[in-house]
Parts: sequence; C-alpha cells; structure tokens
Amino acid sequence: MSFEFHTASAGQTERAGLVLGPLLRRGDVLALSGDLGAGKTHLVQGVARALGVEERVTSPTFNLLLVHPGRLPLYHFDLYRLTHASELEDIAFYETLESDGVSAVEWGDRFPGCLPPDRLVVVINREGENQRRFEVRAGGERSTRLAQQWLDAMSAANGVLP
Amino acid sequence: MRPFLAFDGSTDHVALALGDLDAPETLLAADDFAAPRAANTALLSAAERLLASGGLVPSALHAVAVGRGPGSFTGVRIAVATAKGLAHGARVPLAGFGTLDAVAWRLRQGGLLGIIGDAMRGEVYPALFRAQAGSAERLAADRVALPADVAREWAGHTERILLAGPGLHKHRKVFEEALGELAVLADESLWVPDGLGVLAAAWADRGDLSVSAIAGLSADDAYRLAHPQRLLPVYTRLSDAEEAERAKSSGASGVPAAGVAGPEAR
Repeated sequence: MSFEFHTASAGQTERAGLVLGPLLRRGDVLALSGDLGAGKTHLVQGVARALGVEERVTSPTFNLLLVHPGRLPLYHFDLYRLTHASELEDIAFYETLESDGVSAVEWGDRFPGCLPPDRLVVVINREGENQRRFEVRAGGERSTRLAQQWLDAMSAANGVLP
Repeated sequence: MRPFLAFDGSTDHVALALGDLDAPETLLAADDFAAPRAANTALLSAAERLLASGGLVPSALHAVAVGRGPGSFTGVRIAVATAKGLAHGARVPLAGFGTLDAVAWRLRQGGLLGIIGDAMRGEVYPALFRAQAGSAERLAADRVALPADVAREWAGHTERILLAGPGLHKHRKVFEEALGELAVLADESLWVPDGLGVLAAAWADRGDLSVSAIAGLSADDAYRLAHPQRLLPVYTRLSDAEEAERAKSSGASGVPAAGVAGPEAR
C-alpha cells in the first residue's frame, strides 16, 4: 500500500498530521524522512495536537528522544545525530517502540534494518519554497490499514489534497 | 549480622531484598513494584526506603548484589550502574546473579521451569530450569532466540513445563501452541522477580562474583575478589539484523562470542 499527497504550506503539513493523529494506536511507528526543513516536525506537531499533547513539540535533534504525554504517549525520536545502529540501544529505542505509545521517528531512514517492518514510512520531498510532496508507504498489515485510513480521512477533509 | 542489598531492575518490575551474609536465604526486608522504563527514578529511593525499614544506612551494608540481566537494555544498565555506585561508595564487594534466575527461584515448583525474557524485536531470552526440593537448577546458559525455535526445542522434553517471564506478554501463544498440554502458565503476577526470588538467586549463583563466593571471606578479601569494577552486565549477542546493520554502518566486530559485552568490548 502506498500513496502520495501534496501540501502547499507548513500549516497544511501540520493538518495532514492532525488528520493522522486520531487514527494512531499504541505501538504504531511512523518513520519520517526528508531534508532539513522539509516539514517532518510540522507533521509530528499535527499528530501531537491530535493526540492531545498540550506542550510545545520541537525537533528532538539534540535530545534524541522527547516524550510527550497525551491520549497516548508520543515518543518523538530524531536519529540525525546517531552514527551507529548500536546507539539505538543507548536511547532505549526498541523498548520504547514496543511500549505503550506512538513513535514518530525523524530521519527514520538512517537504520532501516533496525525499525520494525510494519511501519508507516513518510518521505517528504521539497517541490518549491512551500510545496511538498509526501510519499506514504506501509510495510505490514497494521501500517497498511493505517495508510488506507489516513488516505480516506484526508480525502474526506478539505484543504489537504490526496 | 552482615547485611547486604540485592536488587534487579532488568524488567518492567523492580525487586529489592535485604539479606544477611551470615544467614543464607534469611530475608530481612523486601519490596517489589512495577516501574516500566522508570527504574532510574524509582530504584535508589526504593533502596533507601528498604534500608530505612531495617534501620540501616548505606554505610552499614557489607555487600551489594545485582541482577545482571538479560532483559531491558536500559533497565540492566540502570540497575548495574546503580549497584556499582552503591558498592564503590560503600567500599563493599559487588556480586551478580541472573535476572531469569530470580524469576525461577521465585517459582521453584517441582518440574521444569521455562523462563522467557523479552529481548524485543520478536526475540526472547529463554532459560530452562529444573526445580526440586525448593531449589531451581539452571539447565542452559543465557542466549537470545526466536520464540518458535525455543518452543519447539522445549516441546522435545515431553514433560510439563511451568512457563513464566515477561517475554510471555508478547509470545505466550507461540509457546502454548507448540507445547500444547505440556504448557502450564504461571500466574501473570509471578512473571517478574520479587525480593525473595532476587535473594534466593543471589545466594544460588556459583560464579566467582557471587554472594556465596564472598560470604566466607574477610571484608578486605571479599572487596578484592568482587571489586565493584569487575561485574559486567549480560547483554547477550545482538540479533542478526542488528549485526548486519552494525557491520554495514561501522565495520565494527560487535560483541565477543561469549555474548557478554562490557567496557573492554565497546
């Protein structure tokens, strides 16, 4: 299962996350990739709002992991500064992914063999100053259902075009 | 009386016990509680409470014993680091025991005991024990394996196996299906170590850095033998995917064949 959609502003990217958020369940893993400034964090900010996270969500570039309490805990990783897969153990990556919340992993393409196959991959491509093209791919049963639900929900919503 | 503190933080459950080097298996005080990925905030204060309940302060301890894993990577590290800090600070020996042994010794019911730790990413830490006369004898070393392989192997014993361990939360079906009538599930509340199990496993360990190895020694000899810097956690070997990923990203050789990684291996 895969699909694409476009956004024309950071606000629209955040809305795509806002549409995705309510569909998420415990154990879901989002692997986000795209250049610096592509909008990975904006998407996560939308997801966080939908999960009822009240605190500010910023990129965990230096923190590596930020935990946001919400309807489900949101585990927000940024793998940009990791150089070896072994460091994933150091930040309790696997234990956290398999625990009680939703994980959003920025630079989720860094160690592809270390992420669960059944994850929702979101690749953000820059197509202009504010234009972005999102490629969404599912790697298993659960993520396929999630991708389908996200596509349906965005088709139903105005403003964010599938 | 020579009191010592034993604890395990390798699972989502923290267990502590106060024992006496002069009286094997005498339990002076114990505590255990759920602390999912929170051993770092809960362990020290729980240790302090436990000592206080026995009218003790850390400087009154004659040894520390810690569960070396395998289990949650973070939990093992927090527990071992805390134990090293306590033992260094009090200048007392540091002994170790197996986390899965603490679960086995908690149960110690007749017959085979299959203890299953959660190795994450679809794998488990299996360990088989034989329980008899109030003891639990370990039949195999710690390793990491696929649940289906372990279940098939254990089914070959054609004997009932009492199953316990945190790995069952994700994999109990695999074991129940492969073992059929041979599988007997322990009550879920018994899948993690408690204070008594921790104390018994600490006394049962026969390694050179064990409670039984230091109990008969003078304070100086015990400290020299089981110096706090010597104990290593049990991380077990890496999974295949991780080995491949690590080789790809760094060309590093990984952990030693013994499967125990420590300061000199990293």
